[in-house]
Amino acid sequence: MARGTNTSSRRKGMSYTKFGYIFVAPFVIAYCLFSLYPLLTTFWYSGTVMQNANASFWGFSHREVYYDRYLNLTDYYDDLQGSTGINPADYAKIKNFFSAQEVADRYSPIDPEGLQALVDNTDISEATRGKIQQTIDTGDISYIASDASVMEELNTWSANYVDLGLTVINQLNKVNAAATTAATLAESDSEGSEEDSLTAEDILTSSQYEDFLATLQAGEFDEGQTLLVNYLANYAGVDSLYDYFAAEDVTPDAETFYYICANLNAPNAVYTSADGETAINAITVPFMSNLETYLNANVWSTSVPSISSYSNFQSYIDGDTELHSGEEQLYSDLCTLDAMGLIVKQVKLVQEGDTLVQSSNATDNILAAMRQYIDSNYSSDPVKTRSSLQIVCLNNYLDGSMNAGRKKLIDAGIDVDSYICFDGQFDINKYLEFKAFIGLDSVLTLDKYEELDQARKDKNAEKAQAKLDEAQAALPAAQAAYDAAVASGDEEAINEAYEALTAVNVAITDNQSKVNRPSGLLEKADATRDYLFVGFDNFGDIFGNKFRFNKVLGAFYTTFVMWIIGFIPQVLLALLLSAWFTDTKLKLKGLNLMKALMYLPNVITAATIAIFFRRLFSYSTGEATSAVQMLLDAVGHERINFFVNPWYTRLIVCFINFWMWYGNTMITLIAGITSISESLYESAQLDGANSFQTYTKITMPLLRPILLFVMVTSMIGGLQMYDIPFNINQYPSLVAFNGTYVRCTQTVLMYVNELAFGKSSIKQIGIASAISILLFIVTTILSIIIFYMMRDKDAAAAAKAKKLARKAGGTK
Amino acid sequence: MSTNQEKLRSKSASIKAYSILVYVVVIFFAILAIIPFWYMFMNATWDTFSIQTGIKLLPNFGHIFEQLKANWTYLSNRSTFSFALGFKNSLIITVSSTVLTVYFSALTAYGLSVYDFKGRKTIFTLIVGVMMVPTAVNITGFYRLMNAMGLLGTRWPLILPAIAAPSVVFFVKQYIDTSLSKEIIEAARIDGAGEFYTFNRVSLPILVPALATQAIFSFLGSWNNFFAPSILLTKQDLKTLPLMVSLLYGDRYTDYGAIYIGLSASVFPIIIAYAFLQRYIIQGVAAGGVKE
Repeated sequence: MARGTNTSSRRKGMSYTKFGYIFVAPFVIAYCLFSLYPLLTTFWYSGTVMQNANASFWGFSHREVYYDRYLNLTDYYDDLQGSTGINPADYAKIKNFFSAQEVADRYSPIDPEGLQALVDNTDISEATRGKIQQTIDTGDISYIASDASVMEELNTWSANYVDLGLTVINQLNKVNAAATTAATLAESDSEGSEEDSLTAEDILTSSQYEDFLATLQAGEFDEGQTLLVNYLANYAGVDSLYDYFAAEDVTPDAETFYYICANLNAPNAVYTSADGETAINAITVPFMSNLETYLNANVWSTSVPSISSYSNFQSYIDGDTELHSGEEQLYSDLCTLDAMGLIVKQVKLVQEGDTLVQSSNATDNILAAMRQYIDSNYSSDPVKTRSSLQIVCLNNYLDGSMNAGRKKLIDAGIDVDSYICFDGQFDINKYLEFKAFIGLDSVLTLDKYEELDQARKDKNAEKAQAKLDEAQAALPAAQAAYDAAVASGDEEAINEAYEALTAVNVAITDNQSKVNRPSGLLEKADATRDYLFVGFDNFGDIFGNKFRFNKVLGAFYTTFVMWIIGFIPQVLLALLLSAWFTDTKLKLKGLNLMKALMYLPNVITAATIAIFFRRLFSYSTGEATSAVQMLLDAVGHERINFFVNPWYTRLIVCFINFWMWYGNTMITLIAGITSISESLYESAQLDGANSFQTYTKITMPLLRPILLFVMVTSMIGGLQMYDIPFNINQYPSLVAFNGTYVRCTQTVLMYVNELAFGKSSIKQIGIASAISILLFIVTTILSIIIFYMMRDKDAAAAAKAKKLARKAGGTK
Repeated sequence: MSTNQEKLRSKSASIKAYSILVYVVVIFFAILAIIPFWYMFMNATWDTFSIQTGIKLLPNFGHIFEQLKANWTYLSNRSTFSFALGFKNSLIITVSSTVLTVYFSALTAYGLSVYDFKGRKTIFTLIVGVMMVPTAVNITGFYRLMNAMGLLGTRWPLILPAIAAPSVVFFVKQYIDTSLSKEIIEAARIDGAGEFYTFNRVSLPILVPALATQAIFSFLGSWNNFFAPSILLTKQDLKTLPLMVSLLYGDRYTDYGAIYIGLSASVFPIIIAYAFLQRYIIQGVAAGGVKE
């Protein structure tokens, strides 16, 4: 950069400097938000453990109210009076109060808007509306509750009022249960593992399926069943239903398949027998439940674009969604459900002539019924519908069977309504009044809770200590069993013993942490789990617990070994090839093509390559086997089960790394060599140096910075290795490491992933973050070491001298 | 004289022998680089039985298209693997993140190079410093952040961070320092162009060669990304192609023809793109290694 342009641009660019900030801002903001902040929080998480947080964590005032509400002492003390000195009958009042409060929160019985609709509803008598108005004005439900005639009148009106929206809701209740089940299954599938889920093959190859086919083939059906079978064959577009099920390409993905099975299993059909109209007997489909599970888990979750339909239903039913706006939407939701086959059975089949047809009677078909009803009654009165809903809410609150807590308190002579908060804002003072009224305010204090909490903690710590001692006593035996299994070489036994050993070690870790931080009573009040800061406990766990330490160190060791074994041949081959490719004496042809081919593996998805190599090396004993096993057969070597042998697996990973990356290194080195001044080589040639000498004396030293670059980038990439080992061996076999057994190709990131996002229900974000931080530190240290090892000492000295000179000279 | 000639001849003969050896080795490695892909493609045209009983290095002549179709049908019927869906998801994420990376890196590099504002040296030093920071170590923090922002279960966590790509900024800045003359910017300013106009319409076109190279690498990196998507994309309908391919793992699935056609389908677009772009890719790799 020339000094002149620099100063001139500075002078002229003065007024433009603010644009520098503007241009750089998006990058800085995005970097801070998406890289720096997560890195810092990873540091923070490395000092946390997931624990139940209690009210003290949230900093509530009147924390005892929180515990009154969310903690049920009777769950922990069988004899409340004896253990805590609290009268159980009084305590039950507290629980009843909160149960009544919850009903009030859920149904908003005196929601001003809903009550206003009742007041505006001219169908209702003036007197009743006056009482409702008083309730609105005072917020006191007793104007309605104390006069039985009010609710009586409202209920009579409501029973006679037919509302489109409410009818829809009632119809929906019928399909809702099935829909919710499907949604739950679909959701649990998308989060959970796929390995245990049913596949289409599982169903089609089950013996139940064979039995079913035999039943169909035998064809011994009564008259009605025969009609049904013929109808369904016609529906499927085949001559006989047996042909349909026995066909090669049948898959239970098809909705047709489900429709047929569902109808066979529980036909919703009638035909005219000698005795008049008769229902048709089911032809039991034995794999029906499997089919449903499979479809729920695999097909409906993807074929239905959004499961939000279910939440629509739910909100209709809960009354959250404004009625009168969504009937069309509701109808389309029902159509979606219908397409999923969930309400298929609601369509009745009836005999017409010699065949069954879908009933043309609209009430036999829930969809048609809905459509008809909506079409003829599309407009309805919003005030009346709102009234109708509000009456439901009032009933839910006032009805003793719906609101048992309120009933019990009223039976005990307590005017609970005056303490309840109806506006959804819990008023602590009102509750405290209630508590004083029942006489518990001086008994169930925060001090009392804390006393109970401490007692609980002591007890739990004692228990955990006992379990810890037990687990520590069991450790040697488990270790010995494992060693014996390893000695026997039986893969299954090794895995079993490994699991047992892991269980013992996990018990030690868990109970140790329970002894250190025993759980008390108060955190049970809230299921909210949160990250509690514990300082360096996670690092203490890594370095203090032999089991954990070995797992972590083993992961680092595995990662490093798999990197270095691939890296050494990678660099050597790249050096050789780059020397050849730049050798002017050789004048190789087709260089660009060769370079392009050798670089190719580097641009291909690593996951694909790993899956491919898994296939290539997979092991089987029979005639049908993989390519590498066939090659082994050809050379007369016995077959090798590569993926149960840790070192073979690792070497395959190393080979893939080598194979994917030597082209990259080679191109980098070629670029480095060609940038070395030609005159150096010419003078070397004049001095009579041969190729080897020029290479070692000129090329190599000048390549040093490039080699440094290659090594540092490769090492950083290598320590983050994930795609290949993960995909080549999703369940790696075990290998002894320092007395503990680790998964043979489990890299650091795989271990982090397993801890933080794995299948275990306990997500150990804290320890995973701590390991991430270690990875960060190790990478940084190794980079610095390599940098210093490979730095050009002369250049460094020159730079230092220059710096000193500049300082001495005082130039800026 | 004659001895000299002999010497020369023997020397050229030894070079010839040497170069034959070199050719053999080089061709061996070139073949080694492509044979897995060849084998993958060939196997996609065979049925499972043939694949498991012989090493197929030639296509299934006479039945190529039938068998391809049969394998493809079998693969498509497996509800977990949907090539079209994976391809679409990969494309959306990759194209968006590449556009963001290229534009914002150019913007940042331009800002650092053209404007002499306070702290720009510090920012540049920091950018060079963080180039080497392993990106995967902050995954737990990143996951929690995305959770807090409500972005889990969407594609955004894989797109938005592309705005900040330190290494791309570094390379583009080097290019700007050498290839973008300040006179052009001055001229644009004299003509009354605003700073953003100057960047978008005057400077950006000049940077296209450098940006194209960076775009290719950014695209490849995002397309092949596996670790972050495997953690952040849990919904089946958002899964990218590498995640789909990863589902082909497992000895339970025994239809080898279908597995190989799935692998081939994921490799094929990259190989085609590579055939056209390999010159730029290789130049880019070469440029990445040489500093100054």
